[in-house]
Amino acid sequence: MRAYSASSEVALRARKLLKEWAGEAFLTQEQYQRLEQETVSELRTTNIFLRLVLLLFTLIIVGAAAGLFFVVFLSRPSEQTVGAFLLIGTAVCYAAAEVAVSQFHLYRYGIEEALVICSVGFLCGGMEAAFFSGQYSPLPNGAQFLVPAAGAVISLWIWHRFGVWYAFPAAMIFALFLPGYWTSSHSAQHVIVAVGYSIGLIFVAAVRSHHRYDYLEDAYSLIEAFLWLGIYLAINLKLSSLDMPGRWWWGGGTRAPSEFARPFYWTTWVLIWCLPPVVLVRGIRLKDRFVIAVGSIVAILTFISNKPYLGWQRHTWDPMLLGILLTGVALFIRRWLARGAGGIRYGFTAARLSGKDKQWMNASSAVLGLIPQPSTSSPPTRSPDFRFGGGASGGGGASSDF
Amino acid sequence: MGRTGCTRIQCRVLTCPRSETTNPFMTILARLEQWKEQGAISPAQHARLASLSRGEPFSLFLELNVLLYAGVLAFVAGLGWTVTTWSQQLGNVVVLATLSIVLAASYWYCFSRASAWSSAETPAPNPILDYVLYLGSLVWCVELAYLENQLHVLSGQWDLYLLATAVLFFLLAYRFDNRFVLSLALSSLAGWFGLTISHWPSHQDAAYRQYALVYCLLVGAGGVLLQRRGLKPHFFGTYLNIVANILFWAVLSGVFEREDYGLWILALLIACGASLAWGLTRRQFAFVAYAAVYGYVGVSSLLLRSVNDTTAVLTYFVFTGEAMLVGLIVIARRFGRSE
Repeated sequence: MRAYSASSEVALRARKLLKEWAGEAFLTQEQYQRLEQETVSELRTTNIFLRLVLLLFTLIIVGAAAGLFFVVFLSRPSEQTVGAFLLIGTAVCYAAAEVAVSQFHLYRYGIEEALVICSVGFLCGGMEAAFFSGQYSPLPNGAQFLVPAAGAVISLWIWHRFGVWYAFPAAMIFALFLPGYWTSSHSAQHVIVAVGYSIGLIFVAAVRSHHRYDYLEDAYSLIEAFLWLGIYLAINLKLSSLDMPGRWWWGGGTRAPSEFARPFYWTTWVLIWCLPPVVLVRGIRLKDRFVIAVGSIVAILTFISNKPYLGWQRHTWDPMLLGILLTGVALFIRRWLARGAGGIRYGFTAARLSGKDKQWMNASSAVLGLIPQPSTSSPPTRSPDFRFGGGASGGGGASSDF
Repeated sequence: MGRTGCTRIQCRVLTCPRSETTNPFMTILARLEQWKEQGAISPAQHARLASLSRGEPFSLFLELNVLLYAGVLAFVAGLGWTVTTWSQQLGNVVVLATLSIVLAASYWYCFSRASAWSSAETPAPNPILDYVLYLGSLVWCVELAYLENQLHVLSGQWDLYLLATAVLFFLLAYRFDNRFVLSLALSSLAGWFGLTISHWPSHQDAAYRQYALVYCLLVGAGGVLLQRRGLKPHFFGTYLNIVANILFWAVLSGVFEREDYGLWILALLIACGASLAWGLTRRQFAFVAYAAVYGYVGVSSLLLRSVNDTTAVLTYFVFTGEAMLVGLIVIARRFGRSE
């Protein structure tokens, strides 16, 4: 069912690890060169920068080619005609992606990824135009749910077939729109989404236990993390009141607590406190980096959304307290681990064991450094470009190889 | 869970270490076992690599660093918000004293714990020093902003604050070998350039563009000079990436002009060529990406600016996109295979 043979992906994973270990001097250069010969794979890969640029230009080509087709061959087509041709475009793009993989052995190369992305876009746009043009309504109405349902199904298929990780959250986002077509009750919508994600989580948890330490472990780890995050976001009713793009999530923006029944509202409050420890414990038991990260994120989100939930007033020093808490937790864990024998307790250490960690740190700090730095007041009106404290892009910490 | 997983893996490794052709799902642990039996790696290497693969021990280095970083950012955000909101109630003395105490404590900690200065890359003596330095640098920003807003010490000369901040951050970045603070220094310097122009009576885009180029020249030359002198040569990549992006933006803004864009096009082509050559020779493919994307945008804007026919525009994108794709595939196959 997967587009790539298991042996190829296993060999690629082994090659990647070998390179990492050689970089860390765990292997000599001679050993690396010898063992590398045993991890030959027919798949064609490239580095992340060329992958992104190839993806961009493939998207440009496909988009322009589709536009050109409509301009040249169809003059003033009806929406149904446009939809029909978009559906044909779906098949063409998907078939091209399959050919790129089967004939040219492209693996995370950008080109085949752009083609499958286009196939999803064309499918949803085509179905909407062909079958439901001019019928959109936010209220539940018949078969229109088939559009996001088809988007979710094809995204899941692409995730499974091609192994591109972002197809899974795309499927989750499509699934998010489904309850809006079935019920107008916002509570029911939250429940349906949370239950749907929970079912997915149970399935993933059962499947991933068979892939411990193999080449699919990271993929299952990532989607489990996404599902935990999705469940949390579905049950946290207050996130939309924290300037989150509520329209994206539930189609209605910020909602008053009175909109939800009291038992439901307070049940979700209890759940947002229960979920972070559950996720963290599972991540720690599995030694799963992605699940631990999501556990930490949802714990912080719970702290942030607790006051709005309870109707308490926010204070300006709340972020300071959060900062002290985060720093204190980090320092406590670091020192507690460091005091263990060899700096290890219960199989965990605060020490850096891999150069990959440093690369992740550089990448993360570069992204986080884009957060605007604080200033105590607005700058003078005559200097509109002023950003105090280093402007909007401080703290990059970019690495030498970016 | 972990114990069960290990038992299963150990059984698989010990009972059937088959080759990948017969066992496509062979885990990395089985492969390591095979390499050990073949004598390709020593038992000690096997033990170390197998434990790394099993996550034993599991390193929380990354997670703890992210927590520290988020903690510092949240703290300073709250500090700035509190100072802004409560400055009148608290009074200048209390606010400035508090900020100064935090600032002094941060820098005292850094200077008292830092290892001796070296021009080479120096790891921090303890894991939190980088974050304390970052905290101090951000609090410095808050305090300066407060000083100027409340006391108008320099009568609105914000650019001098930025210049002083940039100088201080450069010194701190080089003293403590800290890329976070180096980025702050580079962006503060960029802010100073931008603010200086905003004081001019008739500042225009052209002036910004010229000063962006001067900034690139200054920072680029400084980066090269410091690297040649052997002063923290690992910072050079940070300089180069910032300079490349600002340079491309500045040149592109010139290309987008309706008049006198000839020189800017030439400059864009030269910059793209240089970026491409640097990226390929140094295997830094970010620069190949910059050359491809910025170059394509600039040349396309030039070629399409007088074209109003949709068919022609779309045809252009189809054919030039394909040409770019072919070129990039050639580059990827020849130079950019490794991850």
